Amino acid sequence: MTEERKNLVFSAPPDDVDAVHEFLETVWEANLGVSEFDRMAFETALIELASNVIQHAAGEGGVTCVLTVEADENGLSASLADTADAGGIVLMDRSMPDELSESGRGIALIQALVDDLRYERVDEHNVWSISRARESGGS
Amino acid sequence: MEFQTESIGDDIVVIRGDGRLNMVSGPALRETVTRAVEGGRARVVVDLSRIPFMDSSGLGALIAGLKTAREKGGDLRIVQPSTQVAMVLKLSNVDKILPAFDSTEEAYGD
Repeated sequence: MTEERKNLVFSAPPDDVDAVHEFLETVWEANLGVSEFDRMAFETALIELASNVIQHAAGEGGVTCVLTVEADENGLSASLADTADAGGIVLMDRSMPDELSESGRGIALIQALVDDLRYERVDEHNVWSISRARESGGS
Repeated sequence: MEFQTESIGDDIVVIRGDGRLNMVSGPALRETVTRAVEGGRARVVVDLSRIPFMDSSGLGALIAGLKTAREKGGDLRIVQPSTQVAMVLKLSNVDKILPAFDSTEEAYGD
């Protein structure tokens, strides 16, 4: 099993979530043992997280993020540190909104797709962490 | 991402995109649906066969399009979602209002 840890620094604008997708491609290429479903679930959760951070910081003139993704035999984890003001995103247990609602699903989706979602304020940065255990039977 | 449109019959429009449906491309989908519906085509099909990935912003654009179409007496139906798109629809409890069809013909076969 390959153990891999990769970093991406991005600033939005001009970068957007496509930078995170492209970065994840390199993570998956280096970790071929991660199952299709784990990739899909983790990528969806991480993109929701990054989108939330970018969207909430848009009014503050943008944000710079340092993203670290780690894959090992236990599963996948990511930490996203951003320079936005504290308190922009509230991480309580969120239920899915009404089916015709056009927004408000991001955090609920993340909670459905990962085992752990955490937030800390560290040295004037927001640090978001997600982790997902490997599907049983994975290599 | 740019969305292509194809008119079928009197009031059907098929909208196709190629790429990820997210906060970057979602606004373009909303505009494309609005233009088609205002142009008299309120029965909308969004062909998702070349959309490998959708997030909740992309889903929001689909739901906005559904509401726009319904306001004009039409509907919005989706065709061939990928595994990831189907997963997001299901986890969001939206698969009932946006059921997946196999083809454009099937989507408006009624």
